[in-house]
Amino acid sequence: MRNRIWEIILFIGPSLLLLLIFTVLPVITSLFLSITDFNAYSFLDWSKTNIVWIQNFIDVLHDDLFWKAVLNTFYAFILAYPLTIFFSLLFAFLLNREETYFKNFFRLLIYLPSVTSTIAIAVVWSWILNPKYGLLNWFLGFFGIPPQEWLSNTRWAMLAVVALVVWKAIGPNMLLFIAGLQGIPEELYESAEIDGANRWQQFWYITLPGLRPVLLFVSVMLGIGYLQLFEEPYMLTGGGPLNSTLSIVLYLYQKGFKAFEFGYASSVAFILFIMIFGLTYIQMKMRIYQD
Amino acid sequence: MRRKKVSPFQQIIVHGFLIIASIVTATPFFWMLVTSFKTPGEIYTIPPKFIPSEITLKNYIDLFKGINFWRPLLNTLIIVIIAPPLSILLNSMSGYAFSKFRFKGRDTLILLILATMMIPGQMTLIPAYLIVRILNMLNTYQGIIIPGLVGAGSIFFWRQFIKGIPDEIIESAKIDGANEIFIYFKIILPLSTPFLITSFVFAFIGAWNSFLWPLIVATDESMYTLPVAVSVIAGQYGENIGTILAGSTIVVFPILIVFLIAQRYIIRGIAMTGLKF
Amino acid sequence: MRRKILLIIMILLIILSSFSFSQVKTIKIWAMGEEAKNLNIMAEKFTKETGIKVDVQALPWTAAFSKILTGVAGRQVPDLAMMGTTWMAPFAAMGAFEDLGNYIAKSKVVKQEKFFPGSWETVVYNNKAYGVPWYVDVRVLYYRIDMLKEVGYNKAPDTWDELYDAIKKLSQKYGVGKTGIGLSPTEPANFMPFVWQNGGDIIDKNKNILVKNPEFVEALEFYSKFFKENLVAKGGANVFVDFESGLLPMFFSGPWMVSMIKEQVPKITGKWMVSVMPKKKTRTSFVGGSNWIIFKDAKNKKEAWSFIEFMTRTENQLEWYKILRSLPAVKEVWENPELANDPMTRVFREQLEDAKSTPIVPEWDKIETALGRRVEEVCLGNRDVKEGVELLYKDLQKILRK
Repeated sequence: MRNRIWEIILFIGPSLLLLLIFTVLPVITSLFLSITDFNAYSFLDWSKTNIVWIQNFIDVLHDDLFWKAVLNTFYAFILAYPLTIFFSLLFAFLLNREETYFKNFFRLLIYLPSVTSTIAIAVVWSWILNPKYGLLNWFLGFFGIPPQEWLSNTRWAMLAVVALVVWKAIGPNMLLFIAGLQGIPEELYESAEIDGANRWQQFWYITLPGLRPVLLFVSVMLGIGYLQLFEEPYMLTGGGPLNSTLSIVLYLYQKGFKAFEFGYASSVAFILFIMIFGLTYIQMKMRIYQD
Repeated sequence: MRRKKVSPFQQIIVHGFLIIASIVTATPFFWMLVTSFKTPGEIYTIPPKFIPSEITLKNYIDLFKGINFWRPLLNTLIIVIIAPPLSILLNSMSGYAFSKFRFKGRDTLILLILATMMIPGQMTLIPAYLIVRILNMLNTYQGIIIPGLVGAGSIFFWRQFIKGIPDEIIESAKIDGANEIFIYFKIILPLSTPFLITSFVFAFIGAWNSFLWPLIVATDESMYTLPVAVSVIAGQYGENIGTILAGSTIVVFPILIVFLIAQRYIIRGIAMTGLKF
Repeated sequence: MRRKILLIIMILLIILSSFSFSQVKTIKIWAMGEEAKNLNIMAEKFTKETGIKVDVQALPWTAAFSKILTGVAGRQVPDLAMMGTTWMAPFAAMGAFEDLGNYIAKSKVVKQEKFFPGSWETVVYNNKAYGVPWYVDVRVLYYRIDMLKEVGYNKAPDTWDELYDAIKKLSQKYGVGKTGIGLSPTEPANFMPFVWQNGGDIIDKNKNILVKNPEFVEALEFYSKFFKENLVAKGGANVFVDFESGLLPMFFSGPWMVSMIKEQVPKITGKWMVSVMPKKKTRTSFVGGSNWIIFKDAKNKKEAWSFIEFMTRTENQLEWYKILRSLPAVKEVWENPELANDPMTRVFREQLEDAKSTPIVPEWDKIETALGRRVEEVCLGNRDVKEGVELLYKDLQKILRK
């Protein structure tokens, strides 16, 4: 029995309308902006904008600062992605074991970082990372490690950013993995046990495959999220030192909202979209082959 | 029930590791709170002092004296009260429709909606700003709240969750003459309570913490949200980290408290989506 | 039912937020930083005199440029704003400001001759006056008298060589990295004076690029030497704590620091002083400051102008000086004993005779970013000076050709 039109309109209509106006329309506009030279002066006088076709894209691909941002973003991704998955999985296992005590307490504490706003907590982090008065260097001092300049040294700055990112990301992903683990039927383990499989074999042949859907979901979401790295470098380092923590979105933000070169920034956004789409596509293809 | 005998050694390692992890995650909060009550004399000490010998409220007082703090707080409260219920309403209704309604093109439509999830927010940021400007909604509550109300991800999650509700309940209600509105309010919502609470808390947290979009939409101070105001203060009081951290504390701790209260439901709620991927 | 209530509340709030309660004339002002915090004092006096209310809104310095730009573009602007001298050109080029020519011609208070020429230069764009100077600032050298004495300097370093020598000796005495001079690797206000003191500049009046000239290159070499030899202070908490602790015995800054240092770290009162810039060919320093502008889209232009006249009056310039120690833009205020007799203020007055502003061109923002980036690469990265200058040249070519 089909639903009546008015029901469809009532339940989906408003959402679709909002999505259309504030998501779909902006996407189309952005695509259009990327072929213009829309900038601050165009704001007051639309006629001052010109169509420049692919000139923006050419300029972006020729800007060494853009490529630096790309490198930085992928560097952060290569670090943050495995670390996040590893720790989230690890904690999920540890906090799903029957034999662990105080599970709820630990789950809570590990989830805590993701609840806060990056803005507020980044300030705390930079104070903890202060070379002279910060907690971290004081703590490392006990192990004989000399004080490091975490945020003003190009070697460490991105690592500090990644640390903050991972610190915040473990919680929710851990919960997703726990849910996934709990979704694997007990019987599978029991019959494997009876067949004489040891713990490692159970892990490899039951747990991992069972986690596949969650892993795919987490993997795709992390890919989409981490390539859009913005708040952490924005708050901790502003992109520095020497643009070593300049991420693609931070670069886009600077070009769009500081220099007000919206046309140019839109083309950067479009290029980023292609990257994210590509990465997501690859991931989904990979998993399907494994199935 | 699996009866496993685990070595005490393993237990010690596991719990020790968990304790260390908890310390790593909790320390920044503790440090932020403690430092916000310290005098400058105690903040800039080497080695760092964990327990201040002198507690001061001056940092907080300076904060409230500084830029007008109350208006951002009010703004954030307004947003936090209005946005989550509205957004849950819209997203859950759509989720229900995509899950249980029957109409042509239903599945294609949900796929298209999913596709919008893949588009980086920043790509829509600039044009969304321009659209808000054209609609004359810059620097208004509407401008801050409305664009973020509907999320493809939320709709998708609701759809997945409602799929788990047996069709029979809905069918028998329809046979009894109920219309969709009745079903939605009297059947779906009550059955979704843990998930509802979870969504509400997440929406609340998101609304409370929203920074970038309000920063861009607000063209003057009167529309700053709390996180934006904190970053303003960080710029003005660059001299005293105590004041800045007092600001951070005010932004962070209410959320922590809300979360602590609701966390049971959250953990249960996520597990309940069944994660049918 | 719940839904209906929510809807009603939302509509009410929307209505409330756009409803204006005020019947009395009110002028809105955008201000930043310390000025925003203190402007209310003057505003109250103004309101008592004229009955016009003043509503000051504080913008964070870090986002002020974007906020103003967004406001201009969204046509949501107040009546007045304080505008940094380096921001005048881009906004004037956009047509955001009201041409104040007529107001000035008819005014008895605001006249060009009253202001320092360098300061008046910053309000003129395309031969029209778009602003009125409010206060000026000029950078000077702040130093610890006692610490310099320890290494044989009984007065402030007088030349480039002495500057380098002093900090080198201090570094040897206290340990490399334990003390240093305050230099920013990215701020033009820190770096450009060295270029000017050497007789060079970044671009000239015709927008020719001068960065490959020997004067510029030499200045960059001298500047980066401090970084390369670890003579720049790093890893501290903030300027005041570090100035007191000795981590930062010398730094360059403007007049606002005087009262702030006295307030924040009173323990070192008497142990520090300011002095004019060390000399190479000249002692040129950076002059900045803020001007008042009226937005083209302002609603209360007449009332806004009367506020500008109010702030330009000598007695109010003096009062503002007393509040924030910002140097008055009006010349005759300096003859007042409060300013004329204060030893530190005399230093600023002397420096004001030899001070320049960065070029007032619409592209300055982009030029500044490129300059900051390349200077940082030379100072902190592995770029050598020749390479940095080459790249900067190319950057500027791109920017100025647009």
